[in-house]
Amino acid sequence: MSSRRSRGGVSEEEINELISRLQTLLPSARRRGASQASTTKLLKETCSYIKSLHREVDDLSDRLSDLMASMDQNSPGAEIIRSLLR
Amino acid sequence: MQGRNCTTGKSSTAFKQELLKNLLRGLRARTDACAFSAMSVHERKRAVKSSADVAMAAARGVGARWPKAILAAAAASTSSNRSSCQVRSSRFRRVARRCFFREKRRGPAAGVAAASSVDVARRLVRRRTMALRKVIPGGDAAMDEASLLREAMDYVVHLRAQVDVLRRVSEAMQIRSSLLRYAPSSIHGQEASSSMRQ
Repeated sequence: MSSRRSRGGVSEEEINELISRLQTLLPSARRRGASQASTTKLLKETCSYIKSLHREVDDLSDRLSDLMASMDQNSPGAEIIRSLLR
Repeated sequence: MQGRNCTTGKSSTAFKQELLKNLLRGLRARTDACAFSAMSVHERKRAVKSSADVAMAAARGVGARWPKAILAAAAASTSSNRSSCQVRSSRFRRVARRCFFREKRRGPAAGVAAASSVDVARRLVRRRTMALRKVIPGGDAAMDEASLLREAMDYVVHLRAQVDVLRRVSEAMQIRSSLLRYAPSSIHGQEASSSMRQ
């Protein structure tokens, strides 16, 4: 078992395993299949993926904010939305 | 293969429901404290975004680091924001306090090895994870690469869930308001419910 302990006690294998698990979450995983991208590349991709998710959250929050402002103030929409998830 | 279970499948629905519940509560608390119409557009958007993040962090709980960072940042900005709207959001302060307390009880992190080769390796790792640390809440804390990768995975999974919940809420509200406009008789969001089916 040759685990190189050069990262403060964490083995190389563990990092690689985590990287490949992370890769499955990225959008590129669906396109290219299991291609062996470098760790640095995957870290960069994860970074931009998180940023794009942040932008989506911002856009949706803005939309929601506008919708709420144009609705009645007693927020009956909340009742409907809750009932949708039952 | 063990390791932490990323939220997928059944628990994803539970998380989204918890997020939604927190979101609705948070939004209602804000609108009760200060009418949305009284806020500026920018304040309103910031309030919704903050509610969404707090809702996500509270729904995630203590299994990761990023929720604490979000809650801490939200609590800090609320206490420093003495402008038009003073929301007494004691709820997320309570959650933030609970998270901090648990963190303190766990004790200090492991000691640092003094070997120079380890330092060099650590510096290299640190440089390539720097960008990632900036986009993950609490990512700038001292963390080895493995923990950071786990945080990243956990955060991505829950961010996607947050996007999903926000999208459904917007759609449901949109459908409802257009239905009310064109057919004010009692209409339940039946179109919206079909989009909510898992």
